Amino acid sequence: MSALEAVPRIESRSNRGSATWMVVPALVLLIGFFALPYLTIITMSLREASTRAVYGEGLTLSHYTTALGDFYIWGILGRTLLIGATVTVLSLLLGYPVAYHLAKSRSRWTSLLYIFVLSPLLVGLVVRTFAWMIILSNNGVANQALKAIGLITFPLQLMNNSLGVTIALTHVFLPFIILPLLGNLQAISPDLAMASRSLGASRMRTFWKVTLPLSMPGIQAGTILVFVLSISAYVTPAMLGGTGGRTMSVLVVQYLVDNFRWPAGAALAIIMAAVAVMFVGLYLKLTARAMRRLP
Amino acid sequence: MTGASCGVEKTIWDRLFTSLVAAIYIFLMFPIVLVVLLSFNSGEFLAFPLEGFSLRWFEALFSNKRFLDATLYSIQIAAVSTIVNGVIGTLAAIYVARYAKVARDFMRLIMTAPLLVPEILTAIALLFYFYEIRIGTDYSIGIQIGHIVVTFPYVFLNVSSALFNFDRSQEEAARSLGASGWMTFRRVTLPAIKPGIITGCLFAFVISFDIFNISLLLKSLGKNTLPLELFDYLRFNFDPTAAAIASLSIFMTFTAILIIDRTVGLRSLRF
Repeated sequence: MSALEAVPRIESRSNRGSATWMVVPALVLLIGFFALPYLTIITMSLREASTRAVYGEGLTLSHYTTALGDFYIWGILGRTLLIGATVTVLSLLLGYPVAYHLAKSRSRWTSLLYIFVLSPLLVGLVVRTFAWMIILSNNGVANQALKAIGLITFPLQLMNNSLGVTIALTHVFLPFIILPLLGNLQAISPDLAMASRSLGASRMRTFWKVTLPLSMPGIQAGTILVFVLSISAYVTPAMLGGTGGRTMSVLVVQYLVDNFRWPAGAALAIIMAAVAVMFVGLYLKLTARAMRRLP
Repeated sequence: MTGASCGVEKTIWDRLFTSLVAAIYIFLMFPIVLVVLLSFNSGEFLAFPLEGFSLRWFEALFSNKRFLDATLYSIQIAAVSTIVNGVIGTLAAIYVARYAKVARDFMRLIMTAPLLVPEILTAIALLFYFYEIRIGTDYSIGIQIGHIVVTFPYVFLNVSSALFNFDRSQEEAARSLGASGWMTFRRVTLPAIKPGIITGCLFAFVISFDIFNISLLLKSLGKNTLPLELFDYLRFNFDPTAAAIASLSIFMTFTAILIIDRTVGLRSLRF
């Protein structure tokens, strides 16, 4: 046995030098066309604006100071964060029951239900947002239904505002919280809940005191993912946000594509990323306390 | 007996919980089902009531050259991304799983990084970068590289996970029986990790077909991918032709899901 083990180990050690070629193409791709490009966002944001070229000669911090002194941009940033936070809370409230149900489910329909959760993830964003336009527009399915049951006489404004963006984004990103939670819940031994029950705790109490605390890592991972995705989403706010639901990503793309103001757009993108990092950092700090009690 | 003690008895709370979960499943699927229904509806408007079954919107779609061109362009970009990533993603996964020692965590991080950052930021970064290194966006090379970068982690993660579950003693057995390194790889390792490669490639294809932000910022003038074409179309039109395009893209996705489910099982997906 030791002889058998020893042979491949020596082999792999001597092979390591010659195996390096395997990883070279991937590293070239990801350093050359992913890591380095990110640096150019920073350098671009420091360039002077120019009317004749993409950017001028000198370097400046003025794009940051202008953006940070602009109430309009603060308003959009605030709206973006509010939408992000609402979508995160809603997806947690809707996603947890589904993940819990899927984790416990032993029925033969489980794999079909799994497809229900997974498929929205693989259907394109434009398609899913388009579906929500059909539902939320003034003559849309939702308003038709509300009228038919007599709740309203005039159509509600469900689109071209933050409300529409929030509803659609919650649908779009729901799978991203269900899947990490599902993985987490499946990893929790059922014996723990059973022990709690046999010691006399009610099912509610068992859930609050055993299952929920143990699923904190899944909650943390899923909520961060949904928050980051929803504050950086472009397609959904661009398609059904209108001016009333405009977010930072929409503004940045407008700067880059429509107004051709690359340096100022770069500064906005960095402000957006910095705010996201700050919020995630703060959130990690706050949830760390809840996580520390875990085994 | 244990079954009874952990609660098979249905209480009112169980029923409430089941209805809640059912409502959420409906919420998840409803928009997708709606689009497919309306694409087969003969009526002029994207609204209820349904008027009758018709393929007229698909006919409208297939007689529209812009949509056909966009579909072919999307397939071309997705196919190149899939093939390139199928090779370099698999090689990288094998290297990281087998040979990387000191830098393993760093390599894992950089190989999955395109998934961890918002796609819109990657698109902006590449837009600036291609300008600075004079590649620009006049040709398809920019958008193609963008698609390869963003879909790379899907192949890498799925192959890595297949390698993790693979028992290496089979390789050792092959080697000790005299097989060469290449022979062992081709006859033992490759068949064992093939499901991971297939899943990763299908996933990369579907994602590349769907992604929007990268295409929006890196496209060359006048060349639209299908999502871009649909996005542009919806700015000025709001009719069931759009639903027909959406339906086609949904069918493609479900075909991929079905293949994955039948071959390796959906639960082995990694992302």
